[in-house]
Amino acid sequence: MARQEARVAKIFLIPAFLGLTFITYLPLISVFVLSFFKWTAIMPRPMFVGTANYVRLFTKDIFFVTSIKVTVYYAVLSVCFSMLYSLSIAMLLNRRIPARGFFRAVFYVPYIIPAMAVYMSWSLLYNPDFGVFNALMVQAGLPKVTFLADSKYIIPSLSVIAVWASGNLIVIFLAGLGNVPRVYHEAAEIDGASSWQRFIHITFPCMTPIIFYNLLMSLIANMQVVVPSLIYAGSNRTTYPEYTFMSFLMYRTGFINNDLSYASTISFIFFLIIGVFTLILFATSKSWLFYEGGDR
Amino acid sequence: MHGIESRKRRERVGDAVALALVVLFAALVLFPLWWIFRSSLMTNPEIGSLNFFPSRWLFVNYPEALKVFTFFQYFLNTMTIVAPCVIFGTVTAVMCGYSFARLYFRGRSFVFGLCIASLLLPPVVTLIPLYIAWIRFLGLGGTYWPLILPYLTGGGAFNIFLIRQFIMTVPRELDEAAKIDGAGRVRILLQILVPSIKPAIIVVALFIFIGIWNDVLQQTVYISDARRFTIALGLKKFSGSYGTDWKLAMASTCLSILPGVIVYLICQKYFVEGIVMTGMKN
Repeated sequence: MARQEARVAKIFLIPAFLGLTFITYLPLISVFVLSFFKWTAIMPRPMFVGTANYVRLFTKDIFFVTSIKVTVYYAVLSVCFSMLYSLSIAMLLNRRIPARGFFRAVFYVPYIIPAMAVYMSWSLLYNPDFGVFNALMVQAGLPKVTFLADSKYIIPSLSVIAVWASGNLIVIFLAGLGNVPRVYHEAAEIDGASSWQRFIHITFPCMTPIIFYNLLMSLIANMQVVVPSLIYAGSNRTTYPEYTFMSFLMYRTGFINNDLSYASTISFIFFLIIGVFTLILFATSKSWLFYEGGDR
Repeated sequence: MHGIESRKRRERVGDAVALALVVLFAALVLFPLWWIFRSSLMTNPEIGSLNFFPSRWLFVNYPEALKVFTFFQYFLNTMTIVAPCVIFGTVTAVMCGYSFARLYFRGRSFVFGLCIASLLLPPVVTLIPLYIAWIRFLGLGGTYWPLILPYLTGGGAFNIFLIRQFIMTVPRELDEAAKIDGAGRVRILLQILVPSIKPAIIVVALFIFIGIWNDVLQQTVYISDARRFTIALGLKKFSGSYGTDWKLAMASTCLSILPGVIVYLICQKYFVEGIVMTGMKN
């Protein structure tokens, strides 16, 4: 019986085995291996070059450090404000208000708009001549701002878009708020705790596992930002270093400059950087994560 | 008694403030959507004005946009990728999720661990080797296969995880009872588990749909023939240049937003239920 169970399990898991092997882990190993080779579009087969790609990346590549800086800046800004925004909205929606389903849908809609349409829409809103923000500023007697083509404003402006489109976090937070045991709140209320005290001592601790999950997933998602650069690729905007996100640098190296091996080197370093962030999050999580029913 | 009364009053005031804030934020979130819709019905010079409504509703912008932005063709192309991914991605996710939840075999927790760990791996990292494999080794350039095949492997680790979590909330006694009645594993899965995890299945289908709908990078890499363009790639035509025809760009943008919103509204009921029931506790 048990043997048969194991056999059925293995048959059912064939798709997962294939996926984990050929879509996830084998390509990850390949990225690492390829980073020690040179393989451009015109070369029939790769040539071993040792650490040359890494030397080039760390000593000669003028875009590399910039790309790390802008990616981290964008990701941190977007993650912080998305978390703040979505947790606040979820807390508000968790109160007794009418038409909750409607409002939940409203906040979720930006997330289901295809990324390309999102950036098309915002490039109109941010446009210096046709956009609403500049129209308002002119009305108020302020100078025009080129949000998407001014080093000071590019990353914050893109982060606003990321926050706007973070409705998926709200839904997950709401699910978490629904799981906070009511008895805790009732007990605290009887003891005369204010709603702020209840937030700090009950809601927040109970929510930490979900906050952690959202933090991690939104960090990984935002570190991969590439669509704004793809849209403006080909226009002169890419000359702004603020658009050289790590994913875009990798894309440009591999698919515009046709240097797949050097792009693999960038990919692998990118993987390590995200790995470091993930590890930091996991390492610090022990001190602030709270699991109901004691430590785990 | 007095304390409880005043606390109740305070709660009511709190709810009213919450409602006011929610309405305010909802208006802010919806504003960009309204603005592009209203822009899609205007002349180009009027788009730059602060008019909240078009002075004349130029619905003719839409047929005109369709001449440049061949929406129906793009939509069909996108669906050619979406349909097999959603159907087979969901089916394989259910198969794998069921195995992890209900069937025991040696090394299960290890394989499941590998599955969860892959959640932390950004797909961008593996783009280059996968590109080499699809294009150079398997010769799949110019087809949609590189975009479809990865989804046929359980639709991604997250979806497998979601299905597993859901199946674990279904009492095992139901399986046992059916087994005593002589039902095999496949029948238990199809007749007992699948109906009781319907919300999760719909969530998984929706997530796969959104994943492809949202993707730009993979489609940019694998599709170069303009006749095979997806909606996302079709929209890209409007971007970047200084001479953007904004009214047509916005009409096309509105068209491309519509299918996703419709699908979401149809699934919404199950969707919320699905997320809530996952017990995303860990």
